[in-house]
Amino acid sequence: MMSITQQTNASELTFGAKVSGFFQNYYIYFVLVAVVAILASANLDQFDLFERGNFLNKRNIINILRISAPLLVLAGTFTLLMVSGYIDLSVGSVMGLSAVVYALLAINGVPFLPAFVLTMIIGAGLGAINGLLVVRLNITPVIATLITLSLFKGAALLLVQDGVSAIKSGNGLKMPSWFNSYGREGVLLNLPASFWVAAAVTILLIIIQNRGTLGKYAAATGGNPTAAKLSGINTGRTVFTLYVIVGVSAALAGIARSSFMSLGDPLSGDGMELTAILVVLLGGTAFSGGEGKVLRSFVGALIIMALTVGMLTIVPAYYQAFVIGSALLLAAASNHFISQKGKAS
Amino acid sequence: MTGQQTFTVLSVEELTKDYPGVRAVDQVSFVIENSTIHCLVGENGAGKSTLVKMLTGALEPTSGSMSVNGKAYAPTSPQEAREGGLATLFQELHVVDELTVLENLTLGMEKSRFGFLIKSDLEDRMIKTLAAIEPSIDPTARVSSLSVAQKQIIEIARAASSGANIIIMDEPTAALSEREVERLFGVIRRLRESNVTVIYISHKLDEIFELGDNVTVLRDGKHIATKPLSEVNGRAELIEMMIGRTVFQNYTPRAGIGDKVVLQAQGVTNKLLKNVSFDIKEGEIVGFYGLVGAGKTEIARALFGADPFEGSVTYKGKPVGTTPKEAIASGIALVPEERRTQGLFTELTIRENVPVMNLPRVSKSGIFKARDVRDASLRYVDQLGIATSSIEKHAEKLSGGNQQKVVFAKCLFSKADLLLLDEPTRGVDVGAKTEIYDIIKELADEGDAIAVFSSELEEVLGICDRVFLMFDGHLQEEITNGPDVDIAHILNVVTGGHEGDVI
Repeated sequence: MMSITQQTNASELTFGAKVSGFFQNYYIYFVLVAVVAILASANLDQFDLFERGNFLNKRNIINILRISAPLLVLAGTFTLLMVSGYIDLSVGSVMGLSAVVYALLAINGVPFLPAFVLTMIIGAGLGAINGLLVVRLNITPVIATLITLSLFKGAALLLVQDGVSAIKSGNGLKMPSWFNSYGREGVLLNLPASFWVAAAVTILLIIIQNRGTLGKYAAATGGNPTAAKLSGINTGRTVFTLYVIVGVSAALAGIARSSFMSLGDPLSGDGMELTAILVVLLGGTAFSGGEGKVLRSFVGALIIMALTVGMLTIVPAYYQAFVIGSALLLAAASNHFISQKGKAS
Repeated sequence: MTGQQTFTVLSVEELTKDYPGVRAVDQVSFVIENSTIHCLVGENGAGKSTLVKMLTGALEPTSGSMSVNGKAYAPTSPQEAREGGLATLFQELHVVDELTVLENLTLGMEKSRFGFLIKSDLEDRMIKTLAAIEPSIDPTARVSSLSVAQKQIIEIARAASSGANIIIMDEPTAALSEREVERLFGVIRRLRESNVTVIYISHKLDEIFELGDNVTVLRDGKHIATKPLSEVNGRAELIEMMIGRTVFQNYTPRAGIGDKVVLQAQGVTNKLLKNVSFDIKEGEIVGFYGLVGAGKTEIARALFGADPFEGSVTYKGKPVGTTPKEAIASGIALVPEERRTQGLFTELTIRENVPVMNLPRVSKSGIFKARDVRDASLRYVDQLGIATSSIEKHAEKLSGGNQQKVVFAKCLFSKADLLLLDEPTRGVDVGAKTEIYDIIKELADEGDAIAVFSSELEEVLGICDRVFLMFDGHLQEEITNGPDVDIAHILNVVTGGHEGDVI
């Protein structure tokens, strides 16, 4: 009897599985430490956005964190969506459209709070469109959200009209003075509201992931859809809800970026879907669904932003897409490697 | 059993299921008593799975009725069956690997407020249920760290605690080791003690005798008997009830089996197979017969290079390759069990399907020659008697038998001279079956070696020259086909009987 219980004891994992499990859970923090260490050792001679001298001084850190707000607010919901085995390629367009809408509202005299809430509701609506395409019309998530990527981007460009590239002061209209305080003005620890909203959203999502039905149903849907359905879980509704909250957080990201840049740029979210995927993969979320942690993606987002900003100081901006592509490839390959390793042991 | 009152928990009356041309279940009536382990046995095709599908709501009966706990019972979905108090342990497991044991147990039943989980007595109840049937499983463990057997027990615990008082288990030991089987039996007995009735389906007769209280035997869709196992006089009586006396066989010994051994397998061992050795001669048709999970498909896959194994297999004196590509190149072709998903490109036409396994044969510098492809397709349509209006017909539009012939054509075109046929006539109508048998015999007469992997005894005894009997990954016995083949003996062997058993 003894030998049976020993053999099948759940904690009796092989050494290899333990190592790979530990690695999967905590490597992201080591990466963060490593990146910070590298950046700390960098010395800047010249760069207009940043102070000279040590890269990691207080002003530079605040700068990075407030530039990061859009990505940070998106990373958590995007993680939950990927945990459920789905994906949203339209987040960049939702961001751009939200930025335009928010700027349009503001420039036409709508006060901060109504403009803010209205933009979030529009984000939810855009997410709901994605959800309906995927759940009701049964369109493959990649295709469905590729379609809306184009649709939403088109809508944003139409709103801006020809002649100008973005909604901004001019032609007799003026951005209200409060417009850029959400994304720039320090409210606590010199960090702007956009950062604190991202932090609050992340904390809420961590709780939802660990103690909420939505988090559990997302994991069940991504892990074994048949089992989830047979357990009476409405997987369609779960997925729809996730698309809606991704839409809302993409709208928040759009607001944050629009406020930071003081304009409503329809292309301000371009490429965001790739960055979001990169961040989530970097956080160790499995492409196949089921696995993944919101907090790890948040840390992943910090790493990516530190790297991108750090990179800006040494290489020209047009290297970015290539570098992000390479990092994605690396993350996807190591994701594959880790999951293979886990299976083998 | 305790001295509690017995009553009928499930009764089936005149239950019938018709398929076009076949009556799968024919006016079956029997009752199951509460808190018993009730076994359901019968040969392949006896109607067990159709019956089970009707019980679980996956199929609707053509006529007849069922009742559970005295109430009329006519489920139209597994969900409804569950609500009626009847749960099924599916052969494939429905647990979420990424969640913990407890999270799996409460999945879909959790209590929440504003979308947040709240503690409830449900969790305690689940932990208690689990502890009662299998205390060694830690409720906080990740399911991915558990063995297949433990995952199965989690599903049983879910079923038991969701209020089901009948649990159907269909071949639950197919993927378990001996030790794990004992554990599962312990669980099943504890279920019986807590007033759950288990309907247990297994091909392994030893398990039936070890575990069961009562047994119901089906044969050719008909109900043969329901009685306490204590009144069954050993394996012999059970087997006799299962096969009756009417297994006819029409094998005629074939001339033209060569002396040359083309395939030699020595000590083939892998996850499922245990030290399997055999040979196949030129022009010979050999059969591998065994029940579900005996290892037939695994042998076919090993020979075809699709699964790794230890031991040696040589074909025409050379070791077989480790990939299907190498196997095809050396002249081996596999007609897989699931022809629609694994053997055919259903969206392509017959003409496009035929040359797939050997495109270089009709190609020049990477461009294939349309005329050659067309000629080859026409030739096989003619030779194999594929009933179609044109070679441009899409494979999915063909009947099962004709689809199978297209798969044959593919293999023949690849110039294979060893054909591995996994369940070659499954889902094929009677007429086409005979035609396929004729094709198999013709090919063998031309010198090809053929291995048929089948769970239909009639098929194996109808066409094979030699038959290898499989049980639980072992090749138990080799028999030479002929008029004096002892069918009861064969069934005894493939259901796990031992040599000393008296039949």
